[in-house]
Amino acid sequence: MMFIRFTDKSRKSVEAAFEEARMLGHDSVDDDDLLLGILRADEGIAAEALSSLGVTLAGAREESEEMFSDALTSIRISLEEVRREAGDAFEMRIPPGRRLPLSPRAKKALVGARKEMRRLGDNYLGTEHVLLGILGNEDGMGVRILAGMGVSTETLEDRLCQLRGRAAG
Amino acid sequence: MDENTRTQVGGPRDPREGLEAVVALRRMLEALEAAQVENAFMAGWSWAQIAEVLGLSKQAVHKKHARRIRDRYPGEPPRRRKGT
Repeated sequence: MMFIRFTDKSRKSVEAAFEEARMLGHDSVDDDDLLLGILRADEGIAAEALSSLGVTLAGAREESEEMFSDALTSIRISLEEVRREAGDAFEMRIPPGRRLPLSPRAKKALVGARKEMRRLGDNYLGTEHVLLGILGNEDGMGVRILAGMGVSTETLEDRLCQLRGRAAG
Repeated sequence: MDENTRTQVGGPRDPREGLEAVVALRRMLEALEAAQVENAFMAGWSWAQIAEVLGLSKQAVHKKHARRIRDRYPGEPPRRRKGT
């Protein structure tokens, strides 16, 4: 149901988002995880556009970790100190037994992806539509990670447009 | 943002920032609980002892943590230092 009209690449990207979320200790898959999933699967036009603008998986993970740590700092908690105190057993990864839901924001991005597909007159849902869906969440975590890496929504939309034009021509 | 714009408890003023701190704290709490339960278990504490301090039932603590700890030490049961 969720993957109707998805290409192999976009489906792999969403599956990779679940793995990223689990690794980072996110108790739901949010739109930043969808972004990380695209980078992790590293296939399709979206990954190509991101990489051409210098957005790497390692860089995006680092940005995400920094936002997490900053949020704790805002209430005067040092992630580093907590980590040091708890020792080697401290890890953010969520154990395999627990199922992760999609967050409302991630659902909104995927609904947005489907709208983008229709707007562009496509009959498949590719990684570019997923990325455009993520960019549609203006206050989303995905957009903020990209902003933190110096990539604006407009720049990325333009690049996606270029790459699609090339693929079509 | 200057110090005076902060609330008296020292929390952030921007609601979004405040709410996001809660999310981050929840994530950290989960990881910290997992780590401290594992530390106690490896130090020889029983599930009953761990559960008592956490104020939870033994079953709840076992259900939440036993499999993860077992998976972290595959093959043989974790070597535990017997506590006093």
